[in-house]
Amino acid sequence: MKDGFRQSMAWLHRWAGLLVGWVLFAVFLTGTAAYLRPEISYWMRPELALSRPGPADAEVAVQAMQAMAPNSPSWFINLPDERDTTLRVFWREPGPRGRGFREAVLDPATGHPVEARETLGGEFFYRFHFQLHYVGVLWGRWIVSICAMFMLVAIVSGIITHRRIFADFFTFRPGKGQRSWLDGHNICAVLALPYHLMITYTGLVLFMLMVMPWGVDRAYPGGRAAFNAEAFGSAPPRARAGSAASLTPVLPLVQEAQRRWGGGRVGRVVVANPGDANATIQLVRADSERISYNPQSLTFDGPTGALLQDSGEGLPAAEVRGWMYGLHIGRFAGPLLRALFILSGLAGTAMVATGCVLWATKTRQQAARQGRVGFGTRLVEHLNVAAIAGLPLAMAAFFWANRLLPTGMPQRADWEVHVFFAAWVLCLLHPLFRRGRQAWVEQFAAGALAFALLPLLNALVTRRHLLTTLSEGDHVRAAFDLGLLGCALLLGALAWKVARHRPTPASIRVPAAIPRPGRSAEPAR
Amino acid sequence: MARIGSSFPTVASLRVRLPPGTERRRLGGLLLRSLAGIGGGYALAALATVVLSLSLPLARSEAVLVATMASFAVHAAAIIWAFAARSALRAVAGLLMAAALLTLIHLVMQGQLP
Amino acid sequence: MIGLGAALAYAGFVAMCLAMERHHEQVFRTRAIPPRRRRLLAALGWLLLAASALATVAASGWGLGLVLWAGVLTATAIPLSILLTYAPRVALVLAAAPLPAGLALLLSVS
Repeated sequence: MKDGFRQSMAWLHRWAGLLVGWVLFAVFLTGTAAYLRPEISYWMRPELALSRPGPADAEVAVQAMQAMAPNSPSWFINLPDERDTTLRVFWREPGPRGRGFREAVLDPATGHPVEARETLGGEFFYRFHFQLHYVGVLWGRWIVSICAMFMLVAIVSGIITHRRIFADFFTFRPGKGQRSWLDGHNICAVLALPYHLMITYTGLVLFMLMVMPWGVDRAYPGGRAAFNAEAFGSAPPRARAGSAASLTPVLPLVQEAQRRWGGGRVGRVVVANPGDANATIQLVRADSERISYNPQSLTFDGPTGALLQDSGEGLPAAEVRGWMYGLHIGRFAGPLLRALFILSGLAGTAMVATGCVLWATKTRQQAARQGRVGFGTRLVEHLNVAAIAGLPLAMAAFFWANRLLPTGMPQRADWEVHVFFAAWVLCLLHPLFRRGRQAWVEQFAAGALAFALLPLLNALVTRRHLLTTLSEGDHVRAAFDLGLLGCALLLGALAWKVARHRPTPASIRVPAAIPRPGRSAEPAR
Repeated sequence: MARIGSSFPTVASLRVRLPPGTERRRLGGLLLRSLAGIGGGYALAALATVVLSLSLPLARSEAVLVATMASFAVHAAAIIWAFAARSALRAVAGLLMAAALLTLIHLVMQGQLP
Repeated sequence: MIGLGAALAYAGFVAMCLAMERHHEQVFRTRAIPPRRRRLLAALGWLLLAASALATVAASGWGLGLVLWAGVLTATAIPLSILLTYAPRVALVLAAAPLPAGLALLLSVS
């Protein structure tokens, strides 16, 4: 009966993984890229000069906003730090609807908006990884949440199925076909298992009130505002007074916040109802300073600068949620930890990819023994190529579009995204016209070429290429260009591996690994 | 009760060897398990969330957060159970029993039962 | 300190590998491990992993330290599994890494 249990878990693992495998691959890869969201955004706006954060940034931004959007109901000012050196402002458009947001990047020296090309930058990968694109925000989030649930089931059933993974912890046997894929799958899964469990579960928790609203709806029949106030201490906004009053200087408030937080840094300034007598200035602590994402904040009266509210750590469960939130988005992570997160994210990407390939290898072997290859097998093989080899190529196309589309083009940011998806669709069609592994080799090679030429293209069309960035100490852009070359090397190595691969007798028949129906001695793995 | 080993053949290998009735029963069992695990599991997780939200001895917002954060573990466990149980009917029965237990706790905590 | 943590984690994993027949064979060409040595190696492995956790916690506090430790475990185990396949002897030699890492730390402190 025990083998029966493991066999049913194997079945569950295989199907739960396969059904959502391609979405999960895309989510993992773009999510891993999202760890570098500010760096990608910075690289994709070559107009921005290298700047250093200074103490007067908040004051400069507030004065600029008073000139640019005096009638807006709220301003959001993201202060620069060592990592994201841009001074970015958002504001709600005035008017009865008041839903639209505008944004600008300011020059910290003058407060004037910087003319930068219109692009989503790293924001695209970040948003895609939890809400996809073209399908509507809500639909996308539901789809990704459901896929995350499948992932959780696949992880748990996988641990049960691959009982021996902990004994075979470090085993990799190359050149043995299906056995090698299984080893690779195990290594990527087990060696980063804490990360996989963490990222899947915390990912579910991020949208838990959308997916599982029943508890909060029953406990708070009056609506979410009361819940938010009790759980996260978010006070209801003050209504406009209607009489005008000017804002107090913000610099002393920033200093006060730093004093209260023991030297902690202010990450964001939120001004509500500027110019009104009931204006408030909220200073939010930088999310790079604590693991928990529950923001510490101080709220001041706008005209007088008197402290209205000091929200600190929440209650235990709210703090646990804040920790999960913070762990998932990893903004607290310094360079070393961020590198480890990226490594683990890539391990997860490889885990999903090897899982999908393993599925295809296995069914093809079974089909070969039965003498015919079914439509399902071919479909899986086809989608594997398009997802695994196609997505990196599409990401490269996104960067190419960023450099090549004319800067004054209308809806330029949207068109960068359209190019990304157009490239991906081409990768989906391409395997129709190619036999066997040819499609893999060509797409990997094309991806490698596209990444390898990016730094060169960059040097041709912008001033921010490796020669200048290295000499000016613009480390982020320099490292990004080098990272692109690294991606090219990785994809090139994959293309070379696949092209060179010859199926040896061992990879066609691996007796121990082929499950025999009707025998439960060696359950399917 | 069919042995579970034979109700979970690897991918497509058994299709040709079994009599047609067995195949239909196998697919029916799988369908029932999937429905019980995904749909029934979600319903069970939602029920557990509501019950815990209302009855955990914590501040109201804290109870809601704990219950909702734990709900995904409940759902995952329900899916695992749906596929681990010896037969599809047993899987459904197990989920129903868990739901009944939760409802009972709920009624007791709300003071509607002694 | 985190470097020391990584070195200790790596050494711990190597010790655990040497307590497993398959990896013992990769390094020493024989599957036979005396039972006492096997228990000793396994215990040593766990001890070194615990020590590496202490090192990262000492470096960054409990919360951040444990997160870092999980990352360090992944980052040391993946190269080890590759080295075991392609260069098992090198994998063994690198297990001595805590010594220079510890020395460097001592020198930098004093």
